[in-house]
Amino acid sequence: MTSAQFEIQLIASLVAIACAIPGTFLVLRKMAMISDAISHSILPGIVIGFFITQDLNSPLLIILAALTGILTVVLVEYIQKTGLVKEDTAIGLVFPALFSIGVIMIAKNANDVHLDVDAVLLGELAFAPFDRLLISGVDVGPKSLWIIGSILLITIGLLFAFFKELKVSTFDAGLAASLGFSPVVLHYGLMTVSSITTVGAFDAVGAILVVALMIAPAATAYLLTNELKRMLIFAICFGVFSAISGYWVAHWLDASIAGSITTMLGLLFLGVYLFAPNKGIIAVMYREKQQRTEVSLLTFLLHLKSHTEERERHVNHLNEHINWQKVRSKTVLDLALKNNMIQLNKNIVSLTEKGEDFTSKAIDYIITNEDAQIEDMKDDFFLFRG
Amino acid sequence: MSKQIAVKVDDLTVAYNYKPVLWDIDLEIPEGVLMAIVGPNGAGKSTLIKSILGILKPIAGSVSIYNKPYEDQRQLVAYVPQKGSVDWDFPTTALDVVMMGTYGSLGWIKRPGQKQKKAALEALEKVGMLPFKGRQISQLSGGQQQRIFLARALVQNASIYFMDEPFQGVDATTEIAIINILKELRKAGKTVIVVHHDLQTVPEYFDWVTFLNVKKIATGPVKDIFNDDNLTKTYGINYKVSIQE
Repeated sequence: MTSAQFEIQLIASLVAIACAIPGTFLVLRKMAMISDAISHSILPGIVIGFFITQDLNSPLLIILAALTGILTVVLVEYIQKTGLVKEDTAIGLVFPALFSIGVIMIAKNANDVHLDVDAVLLGELAFAPFDRLLISGVDVGPKSLWIIGSILLITIGLLFAFFKELKVSTFDAGLAASLGFSPVVLHYGLMTVSSITTVGAFDAVGAILVVALMIAPAATAYLLTNELKRMLIFAICFGVFSAISGYWVAHWLDASIAGSITTMLGLLFLGVYLFAPNKGIIAVMYREKQQRTEVSLLTFLLHLKSHTEERERHVNHLNEHINWQKVRSKTVLDLALKNNMIQLNKNIVSLTEKGEDFTSKAIDYIITNEDAQIEDMKDDFFLFRG
Repeated sequence: MSKQIAVKVDDLTVAYNYKPVLWDIDLEIPEGVLMAIVGPNGAGKSTLIKSILGILKPIAGSVSIYNKPYEDQRQLVAYVPQKGSVDWDFPTTALDVVMMGTYGSLGWIKRPGQKQKKAALEALEKVGMLPFKGRQISQLSGGQQQRIFLARALVQNASIYFMDEPFQGVDATTEIAIINILKELRKAGKTVIVVHHDLQTVPEYFDWVTFLNVKKIATGPVKDIFNDDNLTKTYGINYKVSIQE
């Protein structure tokens, strides 16, 4: 691995971390699309900053672009507040307008520089190591590394300082306001950090990947945990993993780095979406199937409990009477036998003591909805886990 | 009564998009009452609470808590929003939600520690939710979620409690459990103000009531003013309730 390769991976990883932190809160606030809006509409800010400074890495450029990002949020909220259109429509109105202004400005005035639309959309991560920061003639590393590094440090600092404020205002803005943590201040704080991060990451990874790095790791982490801190840590890990693995995929395929990283993010999400232990599609399908079987089991046990006459408890009769197909009744019968809830005697089914007990508890639960006494049953049966 | 005034509202007018939802409200809530705010849908009940708590900005009028603006008295006030106002899929546990009640006394930046955790556990115990402290909040029933919200308010250890429809979507057992805790709060000298929907239970649960429908219709002790006349004025139709003495 050359030092340029290492630097690219380092930059990509830092960008991933810097994006995952605000991204987690955006996802929880159901504002994922705002990051898309910001990442596009900061373009005119970048272009104007570039005209003034003639330097893509100037701090002025970052400030101007971040201001355009805030302007986007303000405009979206203003249009939305009129009550004439919904938020998604307002976003759809604002960012293409600002983005297209940026595109026209580039086309009219900046044709001869490396600020072109392709670079804006996809970034130029591969070239990042060539633009060095020189301090009194000494090479201290790529400029983008320093920019995103500083942004990341600030983001982490703010996260540590205001974690509880962000959490409470994201979960319950009303409570936050009544406690004196102004949700408006926190909202615009988060928007500012998102804008600055977007600008800082923009040059390296472009407008599309910035959105992917903000939203995909957080969405993936959301499927895996029930705790905010862990969600943040998972999101960061997923971001870094995709950044590094994406880089090597691009290396082997000789493809765009930004594209490969985004692909890795997508694959990672797909994998978790399918296989996550609780919220994953497969787990949910399995659980639903189990629940169906358990409902059948309960129906079956209830039937046994309320009918003492042998005629009603003959295996064949159960097939007809409860109106199940053979396969299903066999599954249920096996499940009940396995759990020692019933006993078979010459094809006549009767409840065991355990079966009796289980059935009355279950009925109690269904009637009273009090789960104190069925806590121990939750481990074995999905049905009682609410 | 020579009791102190806990909450005082003067000429309060609140508007959404220039349409008034609360018009010129004057209200004095004495210390130590358990008060229901009743009125039809859209009467501005939640708006009144949110305006008192500074969550909404009124276009006119003022609010004071024990003779001072709300901003100076935050520590004295706890708030239970409507259960539907938050996202219960938020990645957090019951204990963590209750801990949020302690954030106000901590102020900005400072983080909760052992002391806050202990207070939160005590509050969970009080509402009978201690066994569920580690449960993710979406895994709780509607009644349990409401108890968590109540515990979060208890942990604030306030003098005045504002609750927005705490009985919404809870079963009878939880409703009784909640009202018992509210009555205990009143016994301890706290003031409790509840947005309430079920007119039948007003005389049984509350000792003070405010009728609201954009304007204030009446406010006072339940035994004096909870009558057909005020109900008709508030709800616009002939209302007949029988109050058991």
